[in-house]
Amino acid sequence: MSKPNLQLTDSQFIHGLRIGNSEVLTALYKKYYNLVLKLVVNNSGSSDAAQDIYQETIIVLFENVQKPQFELNCQLQTYIYSVAKRLWLKQLKKNGHVFLIKEDGEGEIADVTEDLSLHQQKEKDFEKVNQSLENLGEPCAALIKDFYVNKLSMDEIAEKFGYTNSDNAKNQKYKCLQRLKRYFFDNRLVEQSEIEK
Amino acid sequence: MRNTDLFDSYLNEKLNAGEKVDFESKLHSDEVFAKTFNEHSELISALRNYAEAQKLKAELKAIHSKEFGSDAKVISINKEETFAKRYGKTVMIAASTALIAVLSTIAVLSTGGYFIKKASDEISDLKKEVDGLKSTQGAIVEGIKQGAENIVKGKAAYAPANFEGSAFALNNLGYIVTSLHMINGADSVFIQNSTTERVLTKVILTDPKLDLAVLKIEDKELIKKWLVPFSFNEKLTDVGEKVFTLGYPRKDMVYGEGSLSSLSGYNNDTTMYQISIPVNPGNSGGPLLDEQGNVIGIIRGKINSAEATGFAIKSRDIIKSINLLSGDSIQVTNKRSTLKGLKRTEQIKRINPYVFNVLVY
Repeated sequence: MSKPNLQLTDSQFIHGLRIGNSEVLTALYKKYYNLVLKLVVNNSGSSDAAQDIYQETIIVLFENVQKPQFELNCQLQTYIYSVAKRLWLKQLKKNGHVFLIKEDGEGEIADVTEDLSLHQQKEKDFEKVNQSLENLGEPCAALIKDFYVNKLSMDEIAEKFGYTNSDNAKNQKYKCLQRLKRYFFDNRLVEQSEIEK
Repeated sequence: MRNTDLFDSYLNEKLNAGEKVDFESKLHSDEVFAKTFNEHSELISALRNYAEAQKLKAELKAIHSKEFGSDAKVISINKEETFAKRYGKTVMIAASTALIAVLSTIAVLSTGGYFIKKASDEISDLKKEVDGLKSTQGAIVEGIKQGAENIVKGKAAYAPANFEGSAFALNNLGYIVTSLHMINGADSVFIQNSTTERVLTKVILTDPKLDLAVLKIEDKELIKKWLVPFSFNEKLTDVGEKVFTLGYPRKDMVYGEGSLSSLSGYNNDTTMYQISIPVNPGNSGGPLLDEQGNVIGIIRGKINSAEATGFAIKSRDIIKSINLLSGDSIQVTNKRSTLKGLKRTEQIKRINPYVFNVLVY
């Protein structure tokens, strides 16, 4: 909490998020945390739960501002409060609570249904990637990530993973990718979660 | 050149103009080629989006701990109005302490007459809140109630764990194996049994694919006299063989027996056995042993729809995974089991000190 808060307008925040400015992200995070903390803690949540809900809220905002047609129809504060409230209600329901959130005069609530459904779809996609990578295991998952995400060259990969040359690394990457494809496009993955732990 | 390499070159704009034209015309003319390419680029972009989202999540966590990390933790213990009124608050604030300390506070608060019963309600409530701490769904929470019961009897020195399960020794050096789903995302993992006082362990390695975790007792004094009686049998056990397990679905160790029903588990997973032992929540992480007292697997879970059908991960795969992940630095006991030919009751007596109740906070 050392540096003073950046004073930004709503549209400056949105623009900063769009271009991935991390100072803006930090300033945004600091500005509305207490709002969401209060919401969650006043409604049967812990500060840890508030942190989770708040971070997911920021992610929802982040995902939606990436759409070129995104337009903020209300104050940013109202948007964040509305998203956080919906997310927290969902969490409460999932935990088996059935009661309403106490209103605390935060005022109007924005309609964020569409923004949340985009987020939900994304979460579903991520879960599929995550599951596939988990099934893939190591070092395959790391190798694939290094090639496609971190954009390491085959020579770098060969060195990092201890293959004798880049052709061997390439072969290994090929095998890993084929397996990943199988997992990713295989719908039976969903059924596997039926095992009760 | 393999198709995937070609795809990557195209996506990374590494093809020269002529190659690019050839590639694009093939996309138009060759349907199968186009389909494979579309799948490829779908997967790669899903992968990149995923990685980007992970990065953002990590960044937000970092911002949080930098800006608010030293703030007091707040745990809402209540939604029941009467209880709230008696305490006068809906939240308890513990200055940035670990969850366990907060839970202990509640235990202390609960020694007086009226609050005892109420407190146990609250504790099960807390469990739900704690669920939010990303503990895996479907994990087991049996222990909570017993914790509360113990408080009522006034003998609890410890807070109830968020999750409980079983674990057992891998070797004489204090390494212990258990199920990953229980301890995933945990703050701290303790173990205990009738011969070992509750002790903190360190998570050494995890294998999400097999749902395995290896823990270690750091306290050398405690393991000085360890002599694990069972050994891990890598060979496959035959269908029909009598098998048994020991675990902690309750506070006391529970014995279960049955036979090996299949060499593969759910969805024909060949890393698992199917067994006809009714396993309960809390059995996860316990050893599966054959008649001679060889460890042939670790209890993984059961299927929702079938009673008395359990699954265990095979020793063969456990050892393979541990060797791989530890770079052969963790030795698994593979000397002869010293339990061969003994009566079952005697076997259990000897195994007992090396099977643990895991308590996860």
